[in-house]
Amino acid sequence: MLTTAETPVRDLAALLDDLSAAEPSVRRAAARDLAAHPEAAMPACDRLEIEASPSVRAVLLTTLIHLQSPAVAVRLAAHLRSEDVPLRNAAIEALQEMPDAIAPHLQDLLADEDSDVRIFAVNILGALRHAQAPEWLAEVVRSDPHINVCAAAVDALAEIGSLETLIDLENLRRRYDGNAFMEFAIDAAMRRIEGQ
Amino acid sequence: MAASTAARLKDQSPAMTDEEYAKFCEFFYRKSGIQFQAGKKYFVERRIADRIEKTGAESFRDYFTMVRFQTTGEELQLLVNAMTVNETYFFREDYQFDALVDAILPEIARTKRPKEPIRIWSIPCSSGEEPYSIAISILERWSQADTWDIEISASDIDSKILHAARTGMFSERSLSRVSAPLRSKYFIPRPDGNFQICDELRESIDFSLVNVIDSLQTHRFRNIDVIFCRNLLIYFDDVGRRETVEMFFDALGPGGFVCLGHSESMSRMSSIFLPRKFGETIVYQKPLSVE
Amino acid sequence: MNKPLARGHDSDMRGRRPRVLVVDDGITMRMFYRSVLEAAGFLVEEAANGMEGYEKVLTQAFDLMIVDINMPKLDGYALMQLIRGEPAVRGVPAVMISTEAGDRDAAKAYEAGANFYLVKPIPPDELTEVARLVAGVTVP
Repeated sequence: MLTTAETPVRDLAALLDDLSAAEPSVRRAAARDLAAHPEAAMPACDRLEIEASPSVRAVLLTTLIHLQSPAVAVRLAAHLRSEDVPLRNAAIEALQEMPDAIAPHLQDLLADEDSDVRIFAVNILGALRHAQAPEWLAEVVRSDPHINVCAAAVDALAEIGSLETLIDLENLRRRYDGNAFMEFAIDAAMRRIEGQ
Repeated sequence: MAASTAARLKDQSPAMTDEEYAKFCEFFYRKSGIQFQAGKKYFVERRIADRIEKTGAESFRDYFTMVRFQTTGEELQLLVNAMTVNETYFFREDYQFDALVDAILPEIARTKRPKEPIRIWSIPCSSGEEPYSIAISILERWSQADTWDIEISASDIDSKILHAARTGMFSERSLSRVSAPLRSKYFIPRPDGNFQICDELRESIDFSLVNVIDSLQTHRFRNIDVIFCRNLLIYFDDVGRRETVEMFFDALGPGGFVCLGHSESMSRMSSIFLPRKFGETIVYQKPLSVE
Repeated sequence: MNKPLARGHDSDMRGRRPRVLVVDDGITMRMFYRSVLEAAGFLVEEAANGMEGYEKVLTQAFDLMIVDINMPKLDGYALMQLIRGEPAVRGVPAVMISTEAGDRDAAKAYEAGANFYLVKPIPPDELTEVARLVAGVTVP
C-alpha cells in the first residue's frame, strides 16, 4: 500500500531551491531537511520573512530551533516588532526553545523603547529553561516603568519566582498601590511563590 | 540520609499545598499536554512525593525548580512515566471509534472518488488492540464498509510488540469489552485460554516498524485519511512534538484527521490543524486546501 | 460603551448563571478575570491560548468570551475569525483585550468580530459592567 518512492538525498543547493517552490509540501520537505545543514540557518531566516503558508512557517521554525545560534535568535527576535501577529507569536515560541542562543540578546530586548517588545521579551523569559531567568524577571519588576511589562513579569514570576523575589514584588505592590489589578496579580504571584 | 528524607516526607502530609498543586498542574499541562481531572490531587501528590524521595530533593519547591530548569528534561520524562498508565485493551476510549464510524468516515466518503482507498494509520499500535478495534468497529458499524476499499496500517517502534500485534494473541482481560457475538465472529479461542484474532483480520492490517521522528521511515505514508496517535506525544519534548505533528501534516491527505488520546490536546503543541468536534470528541483536521 | 449588542438573551439565562470563557496566556490574568467575574455572578472557564479556547467553545456553551490578543499557538484575532466562521458557535459575544491603547488594535479587534474592546490593565468595575453588557445580563 501507499507510495514506496524513496527519499532522495539532496544537497543544500537543491533544498534551497525547493524552499521557494510553488507547492507548500515541497517547501515543507525542504525546510525540514535543512535541519541537517547548519549553514542553511540564514537562508531559512530569509525564507521565514516572506513565507505566507502557516504550515511551512511552522516547519521552518522547527528547523531553526535545531539550528539555533545567537545569530538565529537575533533574526527571530526582529519579528517581535512584526505586525504579523501569528508570525510574531510563533517567533516567541521558537525563541523559548533556545535559551542559550537568546540569552545574550535578552538584555537588549528588555531595554527596548517599545513596551510591547519588552512584554514579548518577558514572555520569552518566563518560559525559558535558563537559570538566570528569575533574576532577570526580578530586575524587570524593579526597574521597568510600564505597568503592562511589570504585569507580564509578575505573571512569569508566579511560576518561577524564588523567595528572594518576594521583596521585589512587595515593592512593586507599593508602587501600584490602589491599582486593583496589580494588587490582585502580585498577591496571587506571591501566594504561588510562597506555596500557600 | 535517604531514609531520613523518606521519614520526613511521610510525616509532612500533604506533600504539597493547594497553591503548589495548582502551579504544578499548569506547568505539567504545558509541558506534557496532560490535564488532570478534578479529584486527581491525591494521585498526583503521591507520585510527586515518590519522585521527591527518589531524587533526594529537600522539598516540593526544590524539586519543582529542578524539573522546571533541567535542560535534559530527564526528570520531567520520569514524571510523565509515573503519571501515565500504559494499558491497552480492545475498544479502549471507544467513543473515538464511534466518532470515526458515525461522522468522520462518512465525511471522508463524501469527498472521496469511488475506488480511491480510505487510509487509516494507527501509530503507535502497540500489541494491536487499537488497529483491530478500528477494523472491527468499521466492519460492524459503518454501513458503507463494503463499498470502500479501506486500508489500515499499524506501526510501532518496538519490533517485539509489533510481532505480538501480528500474531494477534490476546488474553481474556484484553477482551473484557468485546461482546460474545464479536468474540465468536473475530476470535479463535486457544487451549491456553487466550484468544487469537482471525486470519482474515490479521492479514488485512499492514504492520510496520516505524520511528515517528525518522523521516526516511515515515516518508512512504502519504494521503492518509485518519491517523490514530493516542498517548504517544505526551512522552515527547516540545521539539519532538512539533516534528511529529508536522510529519502527520505531510502524511495526511487534504482534509485528513488526527485522533489523539482522551487526556491529550493539540492546543499546546501546534496550530496548523483545525480542531473539529465529532460527537463527544475533538479531532484535528488538516485544512482541505493548504495555501 | 458605544456598541449596543444585537442579541439580548436575558430570557435564555433566567434561572441560571451566565457562563464566560476567559482566554489569556497569563495565569495571574486568568485568576483576576475569574475572581472579578465570579463575584459578578458568572461561571468561569479558562483557556491558556487561542487553540485551547477554540476547543472549549466547540465543546461547551458560553454566554461570553474574554479574549486576549497576544497569545501563543493562536492569537485572539485568529481565534475570533475561527469562531465567527463556524456556524455552530459563531454567535458567542466576545470582549477583546489588548495591552495597546491605540486605535489600530481596536479597529482590528472589531474587524475580527469582537463586540467590545478593552485595554489592560482593566479596573474590576469596568470589567464587570462590560461583561454584563456584552453577555446581555440584566442586573436585578
